Amino acid sequence: MAATGTAATVSSNEQYNYDIVRKFTIMTLVWGAIGMFVGVYIASELAFPVLNFDNPYITFGRLRPVHTGAVIFGFGGSALFATSYYVVQRTCQARLFSDGLANFTFWGWQAAIVFAALGNMFGYSQGREYAEMEWPIDLLILFVWVAYLTVFVGTLMKRKQPHIYVANWFYLAFILATALLHVFNNLAIPVELFSMKSYSLFAGVQDAMTQWWYGHNAVGFFLTAAFLGMMYYFVPKQAGRPVYSYRLSVIHFWAIIFLYMWAGSHHLHWTAIPDWTSTLAATFSIMLLLPSWGGMINGILTLSGAWDKLRTDPVMRFLIVALSFYGMSTFEGPMMSLKDVNALSHYTDWTVGHVHSGALGWVAMITFGSLYHLVPRLWNTPMHSLKMINVHFWLATIGILLYITAMWISGIMQGLMWRAFDDFGNLQYSFVESVAAAHPFYIMRAVGGAFFLAGMILMCYNMYKTIRKGSVEATAEQQIEGKLSANAA
Amino acid sequence: MSQENTKDSGTAEQKPVFSQGGVPTTGHSWDGDIRELTNPLPRWWVWAFYITAIFTVVYWLFYPAWPVGNTYTKGVPGLNSITYTATQVDGTEVEKTTHWNMRSKFMVEMNELHAAQKQWFDKVAATPYEQIAQDAELMQFVTSAGKTLFSDNCAPCHQAGGQGVIGFAPNLTDDHWQYGGAYEQIEATIVHGRRGYMPPFKEIISDEEIGQLANYVLNLSGEPHDAGSASSGAKLFQTNTAGCYACHGADAKGIEGIGSANLTDKIWLWANIPEMSTPEEKLKAVKTIISGGLNRGVMPPWEDRLKPDQIKLLTVYVHQGLGGGK
Repeated sequence: MAATGTAATVSSNEQYNYDIVRKFTIMTLVWGAIGMFVGVYIASELAFPVLNFDNPYITFGRLRPVHTGAVIFGFGGSALFATSYYVVQRTCQARLFSDGLANFTFWGWQAAIVFAALGNMFGYSQGREYAEMEWPIDLLILFVWVAYLTVFVGTLMKRKQPHIYVANWFYLAFILATALLHVFNNLAIPVELFSMKSYSLFAGVQDAMTQWWYGHNAVGFFLTAAFLGMMYYFVPKQAGRPVYSYRLSVIHFWAIIFLYMWAGSHHLHWTAIPDWTSTLAATFSIMLLLPSWGGMINGILTLSGAWDKLRTDPVMRFLIVALSFYGMSTFEGPMMSLKDVNALSHYTDWTVGHVHSGALGWVAMITFGSLYHLVPRLWNTPMHSLKMINVHFWLATIGILLYITAMWISGIMQGLMWRAFDDFGNLQYSFVESVAAAHPFYIMRAVGGAFFLAGMILMCYNMYKTIRKGSVEATAEQQIEGKLSANAA
Repeated sequence: MSQENTKDSGTAEQKPVFSQGGVPTTGHSWDGDIRELTNPLPRWWVWAFYITAIFTVVYWLFYPAWPVGNTYTKGVPGLNSITYTATQVDGTEVEKTTHWNMRSKFMVEMNELHAAQKQWFDKVAATPYEQIAQDAELMQFVTSAGKTLFSDNCAPCHQAGGQGVIGFAPNLTDDHWQYGGAYEQIEATIVHGRRGYMPPFKEIISDEEIGQLANYVLNLSGEPHDAGSASSGAKLFQTNTAGCYACHGADAKGIEGIGSANLTDKIWLWANIPEMSTPEEKLKAVKTIISGGLNRGVMPPWEDRLKPDQIKLLTVYVHQGLGGGK
């Protein structure tokens, strides 16, 4: 762990708890590097199955939830803890409600991610996407989450500001919705008291619909609303400009909150769910488009009048490109939720590409930008290298473009091949032909992922040098102060 | 940068601050410099949102949308009527007219394709095997339908081109047929599946005798062997000591009826003898099979997975399309 409680930060440590923010920031970087490495590895396994090495622990089926768990909950989750604790304190002018509970959220959350990853590798899984963790881990997460809610709401309640800043609405919505989703999707009965295996309370269609109510709103509240909270603090901060429109933030906030919960069943189009659920999901997804864009518009227009910053400030570039990818994937999503488009896109790599244009383009890029803003302030020293931030930006951008282009081509090609018929009415292609056709694009995807991972590792190095320097400077200052006070005595 | 850390946040209520464009802020500020402008909602954004809402309502007129009591709205009758033929459990066909839904749209599409296929499948079913092969147009259909049927059902074991894998699934492209290569025999193989079995001999004869038999078997297909040992092996093979002749035949050419291997044709099913580099390796591989027997040659039956006309078509495809049928 990094140095804490050093002289330079003592004054702010008294006012705010930055220690917890620093811890979560470091784990964001660690989980980012681990999760993205696993992602590149499994992408390579799909292109070159020999990389399975006939070892069950590292096959795609087990490592895939390790990847999603490490990037969503490890990287994304830690980033949200870090920034929400930072933002809520600074915009409320209040120290966290409880340092002890905040510390518990740190250790509990990290433990949950480690256990989840190990559990998946050893073959324990609920078989629920993004909720693979078995019941003991679910319980741990529940306790952590209640503590998180307590710390966050407690801090909001002791705020010295009359108004609650918009970023905090989004963070609070994310915390409440995630609690709701986590509890209901994981209702399960363990086979035995000391058995890791459990069975869901739901069966059949109810089971599928509960899972995708969870899965979709995990995207909606964890990966969208919460990161919009991040955006609403770091974009105006970094730009030094007022948020474009207060009214837009209110309207699009409530529209997102209301509309997202209906849309989950679009993951189950053309399956045995009732038709009306499928229709409602499709139409509420369509109506989500503009409310989602509200966040993008508010973020991008915040920069109006200061566009030159995009040329000079690599951090700003991360934030604005993140918003652009956010706008693109929130356009793509509603289109894919239409039944007839979905008939082509469902079960293809297009879905994978869509998720990653959101996950890499939006979630990761906004996190990178926010961390580059945050770390110099947490450790009281400028970033080690601006040039490396720039290189990171381009590695990440090229990586995303390679990734999503590969998946668009391969996904649409798969969709078209699977539904191609010849004049006799026979299927024109066998399944395995579509697999062979996707192969070059799987390689391209792995290369794109490797670019993105390279950027992430560069960021870790840059951060490491920055934090080291910050700690050294702080220690030096402390020593000087110590000598001065000794002299004075 | 470091200044901001210690700098206190701004006061809560301030007078509206005007931005460059002359738009006032709400008067609130957080963390020193975060403010919000009072810009109205972008007009295009509002209109675009209304358009999505209108689109939504129109979509509801076409598809089932809202639950009402025990049922649900089914769209506007007439606007979204769809008719399709469904086969019931008892095999009778009924024509159904209903509203747009995922099932009906799927059925309409599938029925169209089935209708296109049907005349050809019917022709395959009505034509004797030998005549199918003579009919170039019909063979086009067999090749087109057979390719996908074969790839999705057979290729996982027999490989994409039917070339098989030694030690796992036989090659279907050569003219060697374990259970016979005539149409009826191929069809019987697909319908009922096959189960190859050779008993282990390690409990019956000595290790030395197994070595002699192995040399004899290598001799049969011209592989390097010990001649003396092989002649002893021949005796074991042809007499009841080992009794190999009972299944493989006195000429060691196998018997199609029970699927026993032809040991003289240089085609190896279970061990890739020709690819092995040293005589010792080859001897050892053959000994392993004789001593342990084989109980791996299982092909599952397909009669419950494919329809009879599909099986007939696959039979022609394997016989003619892959080549080598007898």
